Amino acid sequence: MRLEKCFFCSSTVYPGHGMMFVRNDAKQFRFCRSKCHKNFKMKRNPRKVRWTKAFRVAAGKEMTVDASLEFEKRRNIPVRYDRELMATTLKAMKRIQEIKAKRERVFMKKRMAGKKDQERSEALKLVQKNVELIQTPALKKKLMEKKIISAPGSKDVEMA
Amino acid sequence: MTRMRRKKNPHNIRDVKRASRTRARTKDLDQIQTDIAARVAAGVGDLVTGVPQPPRELDPDLPGLGQFYCIHCDKYFVTQPAMDVHLASKPHKKRIKVLKEPAFTQAEAEAAVGLRTDNTRGKKSSSAMNVETVHAGIFADLNA
Repeated sequence: MRLEKCFFCSSTVYPGHGMMFVRNDAKQFRFCRSKCHKNFKMKRNPRKVRWTKAFRVAAGKEMTVDASLEFEKRRNIPVRYDRELMATTLKAMKRIQEIKAKRERVFMKKRMAGKKDQERSEALKLVQKNVELIQTPALKKKLMEKKIISAPGSKDVEMA
Repeated sequence: MTRMRRKKNPHNIRDVKRASRTRARTKDLDQIQTDIAARVAAGVGDLVTGVPQPPRELDPDLPGLGQFYCIHCDKYFVTQPAMDVHLASKPHKKRIKVLKEPAFTQAEAEAAVGLRTDNTRGKKSSSAMNVETVHAGIFADLNA
């Protein structure tokens, strides 16, 4: 039994799941669930829909260039059964999965590097922009001490 | 923080469910692209404006006897003025823009999860060899 990939979200379509649409020119489209089928019927482009693999790959959110991704292959010519080969393959699958997961974690970490600083600077900007909304005097004083916000009226004094 | 998606439905499509029934199915983008490619290959008609049209057969079952057809939107119109209004409309212009990029394929969906095809019989293909040399580390681990 072959496990096909969903046309829309690229997830695996297991036997007995999802549905297949055959267009009147005999082209087949497989879908893993009704969500994907409905989106296809709406003529949405999977590259533009944020929850699909196609989007995530196109937007650089997933590891795409890696040798650990090169093992899974669709083989249209059957391979002759070889007990030893099967044993090695089963062994290899586990190990490759581990390596892949590890590399994906590293990729994610690299992608998210600098995210915290960015969030912090954005939050600071928001505070500076809306100082007048801070009601608590103690908090205001603390922010002034840290030079996140300037003393009220200081700008006017300098200008005068 | 996230990219906001503007609602792009023209408001005259109220019932999405009806529009997406199989019997109301319109051509997919890849089919339209094939049609356009065939027309370009034949060298007939101005594709940007849709005029002049290549001569079409009279078909009594189609609107306007099938004489006014927009190839980009796969739509028939009753008269030339009706078609002109369509050609100047936003949905048509949007469709032209969408058609500029290649249609999504099953192969692309599979490539997104790293599934490729290997049709080499028995002997290893050159790409498979490369993978093995790259992955000498993995195989060394396995043997250990």
